[in-house]
Amino acid sequence: MAKMQVLGEFYFSRLLGTPIYDAAGKKIGKIRDMAIRWQSSYPRIVGIKYRKSMQQLIAVDQIARCDYGEIRLKEDFSAEKNIELHEHDIYISRWLLDKQIIDLKGSKLVRVNDIILSWVQQQNVQHMTLVAVDIGIKGLFRRLGLEFLVGHCQSNLLDLQDVNPLENWNSYLQLKHDKQQISQLHPADIADLLEDMDYKTRAGFIENLNDQQAADALIEMDLDSQVEIIEQMDEQRASDLLEEMPPDEAADILVEMNAEKSEELLRLMEAEDAEEVRELMRYEDGTAGAMMTTEYIAFPAEYTVSTVIERLRELAPEAETIYYLYVVDEGEVLQGVLSLRELIIAAPDRVLRDLMHTKVMTAAPETEHQEVAQLINKYGLLAVPVVDEVGVMLGIVTVDDVIELLLPEDDRMDLHSWFALSRWRGRR
Amino acid sequence: MKNMRTRMSVFFAVMGPGVITAFADNDAGGIATYAAAGATYGYDLLFTLLISTVCLAVAQEISARTGAVTGRGLSDLIRESFGVKWTLFAMVVLLIANIGTTASEFSGIATSFEMFGVHKLVAVPIMALVVWWSVLKGNYSRIEKVFFVLCATFLSYIISGIIINPPWEEVLLVSVRPTFHSDAAFLMMAIGIIGTTITPWGQFYIQAAVVDKGITAKDYKYTFFDVMLGAFFTWLIAFFVIVATAAVLYTNHIEIETVKDAAVALEPLAGKYASVLFSFGLLGASMLAAFVLPLSSAYAVCEAFGFESGVSKKPKEAPVFFGVYTVIILLGAGIALWPNISLTNVMLASQVVNGVLLPPILIFMVLIANNQSIMGKYKNSGWYNVVAWLFTGLLIVLTLMLLLSSVAPAIMDTVMAGLGF
Repeated sequence: MAKMQVLGEFYFSRLLGTPIYDAAGKKIGKIRDMAIRWQSSYPRIVGIKYRKSMQQLIAVDQIARCDYGEIRLKEDFSAEKNIELHEHDIYISRWLLDKQIIDLKGSKLVRVNDIILSWVQQQNVQHMTLVAVDIGIKGLFRRLGLEFLVGHCQSNLLDLQDVNPLENWNSYLQLKHDKQQISQLHPADIADLLEDMDYKTRAGFIENLNDQQAADALIEMDLDSQVEIIEQMDEQRASDLLEEMPPDEAADILVEMNAEKSEELLRLMEAEDAEEVRELMRYEDGTAGAMMTTEYIAFPAEYTVSTVIERLRELAPEAETIYYLYVVDEGEVLQGVLSLRELIIAAPDRVLRDLMHTKVMTAAPETEHQEVAQLINKYGLLAVPVVDEVGVMLGIVTVDDVIELLLPEDDRMDLHSWFALSRWRGRR
Repeated sequence: MKNMRTRMSVFFAVMGPGVITAFADNDAGGIATYAAAGATYGYDLLFTLLISTVCLAVAQEISARTGAVTGRGLSDLIRESFGVKWTLFAMVVLLIANIGTTASEFSGIATSFEMFGVHKLVAVPIMALVVWWSVLKGNYSRIEKVFFVLCATFLSYIISGIIINPPWEEVLLVSVRPTFHSDAAFLMMAIGIIGTTITPWGQFYIQAAVVDKGITAKDYKYTFFDVMLGAFFTWLIAFFVIVATAAVLYTNHIEIETVKDAAVALEPLAGKYASVLFSFGLLGASMLAAFVLPLSSAYAVCEAFGFESGVSKKPKEAPVFFGVYTVIILLGAGIALWPNISLTNVMLASQVVNGVLLPPILIFMVLIANNQSIMGKYKNSGWYNVVAWLFTGLLIVLTLMLLLSSVAPAIMDTVMAGLGF
């Protein structure tokens, strides 16, 4: 690694408007904007826009001296030395300044108040790179020329590595590492980001997520946002995401939409998934039937422990919960239940019939959610099976479904104020 | 599984942002201005009202369309298109106008309580606390329904206007015939009417409401009708308030001294209960707007400068949001409580302030709506721009005339005489 010498660090906002002189002292123009190219991990400045309607740029390696007072070029100015704007190049102020970006560290949307450039020399070659963005109050006041008012405040800078621009001006900028960084965020954080975005940005953002990530993020949102996003999405993608989601969540969303649209989406889904969702949509809101998921694990009573463990390895990645194993007969009638712990500590050759508890707490599909909650609370369960009048197992209500209903994430403002907009409520 | 709250809000699912804004827009200052206009100038200002309603429809349409196409709020777009300094300017303009309007709402609250013999020193602080607290605690949505029903009593002006049966032929003729006086008082009233119909905050609010409802460019065509319906609704109420007050007060040469006198125009309908009816309406309208205004201001400022915002946050998490919100309520209530201040004048003056401060906001709006890279194929059409710029220009001219006629009425008279008025 060659030695790197820092020649200067600049606030982009203060550089704007700085006059440019050539070696002979002739005034060429002033800094109107700078074009960058994203070559390595940090975007590098390629040239300076120096006149209003001039597409040509002064190459950055022409700069001999740079400070907030003036820019001095190495040689006499001549238009031939100028460079053309490459199609992958973008202007900083149009792309970043005043725009919203994703702060990957804090996983939220923030606004860029200023940009920090670093001018370095490496092996006699000078570069100017974009190293960080200022998202703090200090940057804001600097833009107004009032930085002295907040001199005591700490700067709030974000390294460019921890930033993901919302608008990718061209595919060239969609670096691989961006996608990876986004996918490292928790689905709940992605959900918050999505809720804060405008619908166009959101559409572009979701397009870059895979179905699993998008569905996971959707699950974390409140129902209103889920419905809004699914409605705005193209139908094919929407149906893919609905397939990916647990059927109870998908049913909740589809019920809120108009019949025509939800029918269309169901038609595009795989027949089997659609059928499950359709069934769940029949139940009245707030009942066990509406809350339950049809994804649970059940085995015949004759299976041995080792067979069951073998089968679990195949099923577990898909299932919502595996801590309870239900035992059913050929007619899907619930016979008993055992926990994962009981399964694992049992001898491999024992059959489920001998291990299972036959006295099972169950709920009917029309049981009210408070009752289900009481059941779960009283017996310390993780899930309650829902059975019909002849004992056929329909699904399970898990403890998180109940918690979600009892403790809405945002209970401070009633959802349906007419005049107070839900955006004003903010997110969490 | 059909959701209970979905069923409950069917009414409001039909009623879109346009109509909602129209409701919030017919506030204390609005009623006061229309009543004063009718009582002082008879039917003369009906033409101004018609023009400002057309412009309201255009302005609201621009904001609603911008919201639907971009999915962003107005201050967000101002920040991205014009940078920090212009954003600060826009926010200062908005805050001044909104503090004025909030003061007018608290004056409306004070006036309505005075009719029941409650002194404003008691009523205003309590109601300010109710507004502030209900937002902080998040139980506003229950309270707002009460005030909403109360403010529907202004519909009684329509019935009253019909009972009075004014000379309809003359009224309709005057509505479409330009009528103009060049004295400062008339200019002030005209700007007040424009300022109360089209407000800076109303523009920010309707755009936020469109974004909030998740309306996209695709379903904008429905919102268009909603906006037109809202503008018509605003006009309808204003028209009947002016007609009723003109017929009862102006024709009988009764001068309006305070807003309370506007209740007289309801007597044909409600008899001795007129002032009770009026007070309820005034209270409802003022309380609704007293809540929306500080909140909408705080939201616009935070959106522009990237501060945390949202009533579901704790004040510590969103200090600027709650700070702006609280300060606007304090200033608004403070102005209304100022010793010896005339509540009626606060209501009327704040509408003039709104009218004077409207042009800068309109200019930002129209520039954004004309920006190809923001609006794409939904940018303003040619004739739209003509109307928008004409109106902005007209408003600036009116403002300058108001300044001139207040500072130097003699020069103004000469100018007007020169122009042949």
